[in-house]
Amino acid sequence: MIAPEVIGLLGITLLLGLLALGVPIGVGLALVGLGGIAVMVSPEAALIKGGVTSFEIISKYELGVLPLFLLMAHLCFAAGASRDFFDVAAKFLGHRRGGLALASIGGCAGFGAISGSSLATVATISSVALPEMRKAGYHPGFASGALAAGGTLGSLTPPSGALIVFGIIAEQSIGKLFAAAIVPGALQAMSYLLTIVLLCAVNPALGPVTARTPWRERIPALRKVVDIFVLIAFVIGGLMIGWFTPTEAASVGVVGALVLLSVRGGFSRRAVGEAIRATLHTAGMIYVVIIGALLFANFISLSEITEALSGAVTDLHASPVIAIVLMTAILLLLGSFLDGVALMLLTTPIFLPIAQQLGYSPIWFGIFLVRTMEIGFVHPPLGLNIYVIQGLAKDLSLGTIFRGVIPFLAADFLHLALLIAFPVMALWLPGLVAG
Amino acid sequence: MQHASGSQLGAQQSGGQQPDGRHPEWSAELPGSPMRAHGLLTRAAYGLGAVGLLGATGADALAVLGRHTGLHLIGSIELVQGAVVLLGCAAMLIATMIRGHASVHIVTDRLSAVAQRRLARLAALAGAVLFAVLAIGTAWIVGELWAGYEETELLHIPLRWLRVLWFGFTVLIAAHFLYQALAPKTAEQGA
Repeated sequence: MIAPEVIGLLGITLLLGLLALGVPIGVGLALVGLGGIAVMVSPEAALIKGGVTSFEIISKYELGVLPLFLLMAHLCFAAGASRDFFDVAAKFLGHRRGGLALASIGGCAGFGAISGSSLATVATISSVALPEMRKAGYHPGFASGALAAGGTLGSLTPPSGALIVFGIIAEQSIGKLFAAAIVPGALQAMSYLLTIVLLCAVNPALGPVTARTPWRERIPALRKVVDIFVLIAFVIGGLMIGWFTPTEAASVGVVGALVLLSVRGGFSRRAVGEAIRATLHTAGMIYVVIIGALLFANFISLSEITEALSGAVTDLHASPVIAIVLMTAILLLLGSFLDGVALMLLTTPIFLPIAQQLGYSPIWFGIFLVRTMEIGFVHPPLGLNIYVIQGLAKDLSLGTIFRGVIPFLAADFLHLALLIAFPVMALWLPGLVAG
Repeated sequence: MQHASGSQLGAQQSGGQQPDGRHPEWSAELPGSPMRAHGLLTRAAYGLGAVGLLGATGADALAVLGRHTGLHLIGSIELVQGAVVLLGCAAMLIATMIRGHASVHIVTDRLSAVAQRRLARLAALAGAVLFAVLAIGTAWIVGELWAGYEETELLHIPLRWLRVLWFGFTVLIAAHFLYQALAPKTAEQGA
């Protein structure tokens, strides 16, 4: 008789193999999960679990939040929100040393709030900001590094897709997760701004100054983002103060985005149809991944592998911080060959129970996990954001972009260390809102 | 390198659209050919998904409006639940049709085109097996609960028909994966 923990380990190994062979993430997770349940309980139990879990997921009211926030984002894109945030920030900051790089961070934070996606953010803002910075004589590595790092803000800035998925699989309040992301997200953006200022102070040639935009042009430019800013503030603010549930907030956001589209003159059957189509493409992929993640989590729970691991950590009598640092190292290592959500779905069922047994809040763990996942978007060898930028500027070598991102990666590690050392960074705001 | 993941919420491939904005599969509607049925199924899936998305939006937005104006919309959560079943079923079928499921490409991108095609077929076969298993499981549950007339509390929406709908979609998705695993090579894939 094989020990359950061994079956758990074999399952994880098999899953990594399936993912490496290109099996869809959701399919791999679900097959290993169901296979594990079949071996450990019975094939009948696995069939019934599959039937029950899959219907529970697709009929879950709370899961409606994800496609609705996606639809809101696509309607905002249809309204032309893509480049506005960078344009406005560039008008206000462009005349300063490294100002366009600072503006690109602002653009990423603003756009990230709409898209909830790191890659969408880096692709969109880079397509606008990178040519501008290169035209202004910015060092290509510095410019692309700032954009690659700035793009990661999309994963943490509410309403973040990654946090919604974490909230669903970890059964945590999405409203609290959004609230918890605000302070770390703001500090992350500030750390990038500070990095740019310091780099330009040391080497002014990295980001030369550009012509100052007069105030008579700045104020009208501001009007281009005010409506979207108000919509996002209303949706997230209303959710945090309890006006709406997350799903209602997303619905209100969709209605608001439709109004915005009409006011901006972009409302048409075609525009709305395209937004719905794009939403369905992404939602379908995520639904399969979530079904797979929950089946895999069931298997991991049955295998008692998490109890064995947390027991081993407890037996060492080491500080819980050491265990978290070890988890960080494993996450960063896995992040070298697994992309963000695969990493999150694979590790949440294993690491979350351990973190909880060590006394960490699951809300904090969600922020920690997404933050670590974000670093995977810019660190070699995977660094998806780097490849996105290289796809947009093919004359830039991957080496140039990776070298450019190193100072921002240092800021990322410092920020992550602060998040681990001071969990209150993430937990203060949700506590305040709940109180 | 092409990666797709759940974290790339807004950056998913749209499946490659025609200049007129239509999905390629929508264009393949030769009268009397199997592709026509395929095109109709695609349209039906998009239509059902749109009804689900807009239905969920409308029900929840009206619920919020009603709560703040004193005109409560009874059973809005149940309406949204029904709508998300429609959109979930349709969205998963569409993601399968456009081969839009998230996967890791870091290893497969380094292989030859022939090996990549074989692995893609294997991946599709794995998808077919999974959805066949989910279909059997769902059919089992439907059979067990059929006589129980399972329905929602306030609006009495019959859940057994929603389960039947999900069963139908698991069969369709499994069939689509199987088609992708076994279909002959297209000109696009190379000889």
